[in-house]
Amino acid sequence: MLLIRSIIRPEKVGVVLQELLAEGYPAVTKMDVYGRGKQKGVKVGNVYYDEIPKEMLLMVVNDEDKDNVIRIIMRYARTGEKGAFGDGRIFVSPVEEAYTISNKKAGL
Amino acid sequence: MKEVMAIVRQNKVNITKNALEKADFPAFTCRKVLGRGKQAGQEMLIQPNFKTSEETVQFYGQISHTQNLIPKRVFTLVVRDDEVQKAVNAIMEVNSTGNTGDGKIFVLPISEAIRVRDGKEQMDSESY
Repeated sequence: MLLIRSIIRPEKVGVVLQELLAEGYPAVTKMDVYGRGKQKGVKVGNVYYDEIPKEMLLMVVNDEDKDNVIRIIMRYARTGEKGAFGDGRIFVSPVEEAYTISNKKAGL
Repeated sequence: MKEVMAIVRQNKVNITKNALEKADFPAFTCRKVLGRGKQAGQEMLIQPNFKTSEETVQFYGQISHTQNLIPKRVFTLVVRDDEVQKAVNAIMEVNSTGNTGDGKIFVLPISEAIRVRDGKEQMDSESY
């Protein structure tokens, strides 16, 4: 199992969640985050704004679903055809165990 | 070291805190999140018992606005390898109501842990 952490624009969350649901990946956790990236934030005039609001989506998926989920997020979280700075990042890390609390069973 | 990430109901935060303290896990982080699970957030739609139609419209309006996401709390704690099962059981014990929406627990590997105060790396044998 893999944990996919994607940091995306808040205005793209709606369409990304909708498409994930349509493709059969309903389970998502979302949290508000603030951060900056390689471009050191946004420069307006002489001022850098380096705490840019973003949304982080957490998804735990089976290994074989990873590429599909990443493809969906990449496609719909992008601004325009080519994308733009600030569209976000996706990080993937391993998950060793998963449990469902309601029936105390192991697995996704 | 392992990270135990538990997504639980909002009203279970206090008893989870107490249970973790009792099981000797005083250190954790808790934060508010929104999310949905396998049921795609449909549990929220069960019997909304409203008197007026305006209330109903308002309710469904809110739901579509938040994309059917249900508010939850996520606990994150870093534990020693041999204590993972203990932590998972402590959380599962108090959070399990047998209904959908109780949440999930994930266990992730952690490669390093460094204390900010003195910059020392924490060994797996030590407590946190």
